[in-house]
Amino acid sequence: MKVTFPHMGNAWIVIQALFETLNVDVAVPPPTSKGTLNLGTKLAPESSCLPLKINLGNYIEAAAKGADTIAITGGIGPCRFGYYGEVERQILRDAGYSYEVVILEPPDGSLWGLAKRIRYLAGRHNSWTKILKAMRFAYRKSVALDEVEDMIHAARPRLLEPLAAEKLYSKAKQHLIEASEDKGLEEAVFRVQQSIKEGQAAFRGEKPLRVGVVGEIYTILDPFSSLDVEQQLGNLGVEVNRSIYLSSWVGQHVFQGLAQGYRPLRDYPRLAKPYLPHFVGGHGQETVGAAVQFAREGADGIIQLLPLGCMPEIVASSVLPRIQADYRIPIMTLTVDEHSGRAGVQTRLEAFVDLLERRRNRTLTREDVLNVARE
Amino acid sequence: MKVGYPRAVHYYDYFPFWAGFFQGLDLELIASPLTNRKILEQGLKKASDETCLPIKLLAGHIQALSGMGVDALFLPRMVSVEEKTYLCPKLLGLPESVFAAVPEGMRILTLDFNVRLGKRRVIRTLEEFAEGLGKTRAEARQGFLLAQNWQERYESRRHEGRSFGESMGEFDPRLAGEAGRTIRFDNPDRDESAAVLTVALVGHPYLTQDNYANLNLVAKLGERAHVRFIEEMEPQGIEQGLQGLHKSVFWSHARKIMGAGAAYIGDEAVDGVIYLSCFGCGTDSMTQDMVARIARQQHKPYMVLTLDEHSGEAGLVTRLEAFLDMTERRVQRESNFSAHG
Ligand code: SF4
Ligand code: SF4
Repeated sequence: MKVTFPHMGNAWIVIQALFETLNVDVAVPPPTSKGTLNLGTKLAPESSCLPLKINLGNYIEAAAKGADTIAITGGIGPCRFGYYGEVERQILRDAGYSYEVVILEPPDGSLWGLAKRIRYLAGRHNSWTKILKAMRFAYRKSVALDEVEDMIHAARPRLLEPLAAEKLYSKAKQHLIEASEDKGLEEAVFRVQQSIKEGQAAFRGEKPLRVGVVGEIYTILDPFSSLDVEQQLGNLGVEVNRSIYLSSWVGQHVFQGLAQGYRPLRDYPRLAKPYLPHFVGGHGQETVGAAVQFAREGADGIIQLLPLGCMPEIVASSVLPRIQADYRIPIMTLTVDEHSGRAGVQTRLEAFVDLLERRRNRTLTREDVLNVARE
Repeated sequence: MKVGYPRAVHYYDYFPFWAGFFQGLDLELIASPLTNRKILEQGLKKASDETCLPIKLLAGHIQALSGMGVDALFLPRMVSVEEKTYLCPKLLGLPESVFAAVPEGMRILTLDFNVRLGKRRVIRTLEEFAEGLGKTRAEARQGFLLAQNWQERYESRRHEGRSFGESMGEFDPRLAGEAGRTIRFDNPDRDESAAVLTVALVGHPYLTQDNYANLNLVAKLGERAHVRFIEEMEPQGIEQGLQGLHKSVFWSHARKIMGAGAAYIGDEAVDGVIYLSCFGCGTDSMTQDMVARIARQQHKPYMVLTLDEHSGEAGLVTRLEAFLDMTERRVQRESNFSAHG
């Protein structure tokens, strides 16, 4: 058995750590590329959402590395993600890939059923104590990754050399990949902190604009799918804050909600209440709640990211205009799919950042603010 | 007090339930007019561009209530109608996501309908709702009984094979007069012998039964074929159709479409299957793909028609004719084959 799993930003680092600690043979799919997406798009239903297309591409590329088993999380919706596993199984079967798909979820709510599936992947040679220990370490690794990423968000607009932050980021990631105990994690985080402090000392510019990124989890966590929105914003001198971090996803999906993650999601539903008092699947309600939070914290603007056709986020985007009006904060919705191009995204981001700047300098009319969401 | 119910999305499945409930409260619940061009156009103006056609139509129907002299709009949040399933996320986002379409000053009545929380919670929700309208808890419970009764009656009429117009017409007087005529399937004067084919039209009832949205597809299809719908299939048939899945489908409507679609594909009395979908439907993107796979495996004539606000009648007719011709040839070939074999 050789296990693979779909990419989602840095998630692979955590999942690989988990399996490797347990001595499970894994094949990490090659980093997602345009080619990956093309492979997936050919097999996927045309109107399926972008993450499904990328997932399929990842599996095909992992098959070439000898993978024969897919581990994916599930859930009972109501958004499409909960049904990805089964649809992907059928698509791969008909395309001639003999993959076994193991959906890591409590089938019919049974935690015992989930335990059996984990046991199946982990094999006999691992005791439950060892499995739990590995899971906890993987979780801490995800928190460390989030800490680093958050610092990078702050560093991008403040480091003078444009690529300095990216270099720091990839070096830190490498350290975290290699870390096999807590000490390594702490050290990696500490080192980034130090380097940023030093690099920032020379920064004399005005306070960077702050933008909150909210929306669908995959596009938020996976820079390939969003065409590096966060990095692009950083390059435009913006400090990014975001609604969901990787460890929250790990806490939700791997720990069935028992761990909250670096950025807890639990306040979002309450904040969303006046605008959307019910969950709508995916992270639709979290998007609305996070938008309220960013607005209250005085962010300069908010960007909602979503794959074309994403059901929960379409609901969220229909209520965001009310938050925009109530808090007088510009909110832009950015939809991506397999046809999205970097240039197009860049143009929209530039226009948005320009608007935020003019707004800060008070050279803006009311129409400008209200129009951004609809552009 | 007269309350309006938009003739869109869950109207097509659950209106009898809500009509019964309001009847029990001694309030009048009336549906908006049949979909027409103006409703579609107004819907497009007030709904998000990216959303699906049915939600756009819903936005239009909400606006259409303003001319009807209703005192309020009723738009429940239908979360779940049976165990272990939900409705579509976009329906969970009602009514908030269509607030922009609500006419100025119109009161909105809503409640969360969620059977996953248990029957007692459902009844309590209905009681609270009734109290908000100055009715008693007893009246709410009365209404709930009537609601269940009407809904069951509607569903069993459909299982008997009665048309949508006839079955729904019992609870929605407007439909009895108007929509019945356009459905050829229940035209008693129709020459049965002319139709040699039986075609199943699978898809959301708000597409298959909204004759404006589907460009009168059912009537056109009815000229050459007996038309079967997913609502006609009994739960056991749907269950049967879902057998091959490794994980159960958790949206009730998609479950029905998937199960009935698969069952019709496996049914020898059905010559072909048409999946009627619409642009922007998230759940269809999954079920449509799975139904297509089953049709391919079983060599059943199968076609997908995707509606959107720009769909033209001409294109639809051409594709429909071609599909029916192909299916007819298949049926003839197979009957020749068995006659000689
Ligand atoms: S959240 Fe949106 S993009 Fe993600 S699986 Fe659900 S519908 Fe698709
Ligand atoms: S099921 Fe499809 S058509 Fe119906 S509301 Fe949801 S997305 Fe729209």
